[in-house]
Amino acid sequence: MLAYLVAVAIVIGIYALLTISLDLQYGFTGLVNFGQVAFYALGAYASALTALATHSVALGFVAAIVVAAIAALPIGALALRLREDYLAIVTLGFSEVVRLVLLNEEKLTGGGLGLTGIPRPFANLGPGAAEIAYLALVVACNIVVVLIVRRVTRSPFGRLIRAIRDNEVTVASLGKSPPAAKVKTLVLGAAIAGLAGALYAHYITFVTPDQYLPVVTFYVWMASILGGVSTLRGAIAGAAVLVLILEGTRFVRDFFPSILAVQMASVRLALVGLALVLFVLYRPQGVFGRALPR
Amino acid sequence: MFYLNLMVNGVVEGLIIGLAALALNLVFAVGRFPNAASGDFMTIGAYAGYSVQQLGSHSALVQGLAAVAASVAVSLASYALVFRHLVGRSMVAPLLASIGLGLFYRSIVSLLFGLDPLFFVMPPIHAYTVAGLRLQGTDLWLATLAAASVAIVLLLLHVTPIGREMRAVADNALLARASGIRSRRVMIALWSMVGAITGIAGLVVALRTTVNPELGWGLLLPAFAAAVLGGVGSPAGAILAGLLLGVMQELSTPWLGFSYKIALSFVVLTVVLLVRPQGLFGTAQVVR
Amino acid sequence: MNNSRRQFVRHGSFAALALAMAARVPAAFAQSGENLRIGALNDVTGAGSPYGGGMQKAILMAADEINATGGAGGRRIEVFAEDSQTAPDAGVLAAKKLIEVNKVHAILGTWSSGVAAAVMPLTDAAGIIHCTNAGASNITSSKGLMFRYSALSVRIGQALAREIAKRGHTRLATMAFNNPSGREITGGAKQGWEKLGRQLVGEVVYEPNRPSYRSEVQTILANNPDAIVLGGYLPDFTVILRETRQAGSNVKFYAPAWAVNQKLIDALGAPACEGVMTHDYVAALDSTAYKTFVDKFKKATGIDPTENYYACCAYDMMTVVGLAAQAAGGKPAIAPMMRAVANPPGTMMYDFVSGKKALAAGTKINYEGASGPIDFDDLGNVKPLFKLSEVRNGKVELVGNAFQDY
Repeated sequence: MLAYLVAVAIVIGIYALLTISLDLQYGFTGLVNFGQVAFYALGAYASALTALATHSVALGFVAAIVVAAIAALPIGALALRLREDYLAIVTLGFSEVVRLVLLNEEKLTGGGLGLTGIPRPFANLGPGAAEIAYLALVVACNIVVVLIVRRVTRSPFGRLIRAIRDNEVTVASLGKSPPAAKVKTLVLGAAIAGLAGALYAHYITFVTPDQYLPVVTFYVWMASILGGVSTLRGAIAGAAVLVLILEGTRFVRDFFPSILAVQMASVRLALVGLALVLFVLYRPQGVFGRALPR
Repeated sequence: MFYLNLMVNGVVEGLIIGLAALALNLVFAVGRFPNAASGDFMTIGAYAGYSVQQLGSHSALVQGLAAVAASVAVSLASYALVFRHLVGRSMVAPLLASIGLGLFYRSIVSLLFGLDPLFFVMPPIHAYTVAGLRLQGTDLWLATLAAASVAIVLLLLHVTPIGREMRAVADNALLARASGIRSRRVMIALWSMVGAITGIAGLVVALRTTVNPELGWGLLLPAFAAAVLGGVGSPAGAILAGLLLGVMQELSTPWLGFSYKIALSFVVLTVVLLVRPQGLFGTAQVVR
Repeated sequence: MNNSRRQFVRHGSFAALALAMAARVPAAFAQSGENLRIGALNDVTGAGSPYGGGMQKAILMAADEINATGGAGGRRIEVFAEDSQTAPDAGVLAAKKLIEVNKVHAILGTWSSGVAAAVMPLTDAAGIIHCTNAGASNITSSKGLMFRYSALSVRIGQALAREIAKRGHTRLATMAFNNPSGREITGGAKQGWEKLGRQLVGEVVYEPNRPSYRSEVQTILANNPDAIVLGGYLPDFTVILRETRQAGSNVKFYAPAWAVNQKLIDALGAPACEGVMTHDYVAALDSTAYKTFVDKFKKATGIDPTENYYACCAYDMMTVVGLAAQAAGGKPAIAPMMRAVANPPGTMMYDFVSGKKALAAGTKINYEGASGPIDFDDLGNVKPLFKLSEVRNGKVELVGNAFQDY
């Protein structure tokens, strides 16, 4: 029982990182990133490949962050030149191209079979303790990331990016440089998503392109909108609700045995879609957010 | 001859992409946001047509009417229940809502029909071979259908009063309202048109392949690329861009392979937005 | 599910767990060792759903049979049933629960390669047996704990290539759905063909859910193949077959059994499907084990398992594990006994009851199962029999002999 709850907590922690990353990009800077899953995937694969080659999980994590951050640079360049809805479409396309590359460049990525046997940290502690240690790692990453993001958003830089989100023209006229700030935020967000990818890859011990479909990006968007895009508390709450939907439907069948398991998958998707629509309509600031001046 | 046949394949696929792009373009121009649920309107139309066949009717006309009716109903419902309330909000709001709606429609369809792909009964029909060029009877039919759709849309937009109003709203919504154009009527006309187009497109795709919940979503990226390439505000441009994109995709397969040809849409999309944001035929757009 | 099952089957949920524990009836036989806990991790939903449900039922049925005789090695079988949803992520979570919460001694019945590959490191780390039907070649155990009850996809392809050559084809091409199963079947076919000193005349890999496969078909037909090995599924094959016939080609397709069935024939009509070849496992149709299994399964579930070879495999999985536990005499180390009860030499046995009796008498047994001879090689693979069928007049009919040499 405990082991299962620990597993669920780990997944929540990983989605929380993804949500924080999206909040940073959209909530604080107004960048509409529909390709979040690309950085998640790149981080996962980079970490897996590095760890398999060097047997060092730590190096893998470093690689994940670096690769995801570098991949964000061209997207950053695009973000400067594109309106939000066009950026959304282009980032969506980007994430699909990344997935196609992962699927087809077999010699590097293992293609459809993916990579298995990814080294697990704490493996020598025995199954129960290893799991708890991993949870501690995920929580530690969350704490570090939250501190960094807090630092960034409360700093002058943070005020700058919030100003950009609210009124770009004014900021530019004041001589501050929106472009550099936007790119920095995107890169930081991508690095966080890459870290999340590494955490996931080393937890599940295998990666396949199927884990990185666009729908994952939209799961994170739902978590973000639901929790409240500008608040870190909201990110964690949103991630928890998301995982509740994804895992909770597993148990619904015990109370409603007439529902087939195959229908549960559809129910999960329906709940995520519905949550997105309802929150956008009636409470766009999310559960914890302050009403945005939009 | 090999390449010519590839081109023909591309034209056929391009027409479908073009239809989907047309639906996107209309909403982009008049409703001012990219409607990510367009693909799922197509899917619902396809399932409606399939249901009609299951109930016993093999008439393409009846199936087509059912598809159109279903997509129009869903399209109007989406407008009335969701998009209508998001007017005045930033563009991200209806975009996100359309994503959520799409997921929701997809899940309803799979709850009702299951996740497995379904098939129309469609025995193979031999192609006409004209000097090595392979032409499929069904494709000529499809080409006519697409051309007819474009013609009807253009007719509606330029000749009818409601079409004029739609164009006015597309050009300048504020001014349009000031001159007394009732946005409610325009929107109903818009979303009905979008529903009709997506219904037809969805049915056509399903007839040529299978009926499955991901049917429309899989076309979304090429459709967006075509919409942007054609230029927002130009219905004919959407179809032409779709054709161009379809042909380019197929011609690229000897080099890119069948898996990467899909990536071509993305590249085209990005390049167009960077180099010529108004697309081939569109009016100057605020892209930045 | 009736109440007597409740004792043995748990769903992975807290509520059901609590209820089931309360409802447990005290065991009626001597408990000389702890219960043998089995994790039935099957693809009940998702792409594997045609087979997963039947597999799970077969495992339950076999477990009931074993318990009716008083258990295996004095240990009662407890089955924990989970649905992997044919998704590696869900499968891993389910496996974790089975291993860490339910503390199972073996996991049986994974089917899709994605799920099996993901679960494999977990079972190896826990040191427990993993019986699977997944065909991907990267599913192996470094501890000898993996037992595969069907063929590697690669070997299926190799076997096909030889049969195709035997049938007089000289120009072979391959078309593969872009996933491990499709790629490995065609990869194996290519290997087998090249071993015969020949070269393929075309290779195409295609993506799922395309609005048309016209160009793919055009490309593959460009060099005039007379046979095409296709590794794919019903939806894409339906479209590809239609496009091929529309292009005027009568090339002979060799497609997997799950891609060629009545649905295909209904959608395209009998004439278009005429001559399409399909390959499938042949359960040991003449064996006593198969015949009795079919009867029992039909009675218990109302479904005819002849459509579901994997249900036969799942039944054998449970039975062999039971026999191995019996041979281990109630001691925990079962894996070393797997080959001892299933491989020759030994007196042939076709069910658990007789096997148990023979073991008690000290005889070396060789279990022959419902799905085939079940003889594990060093890597844990069996060598199943294949059969070729052809679509004739709108019906799928067996042709030629079952082949096993590859």
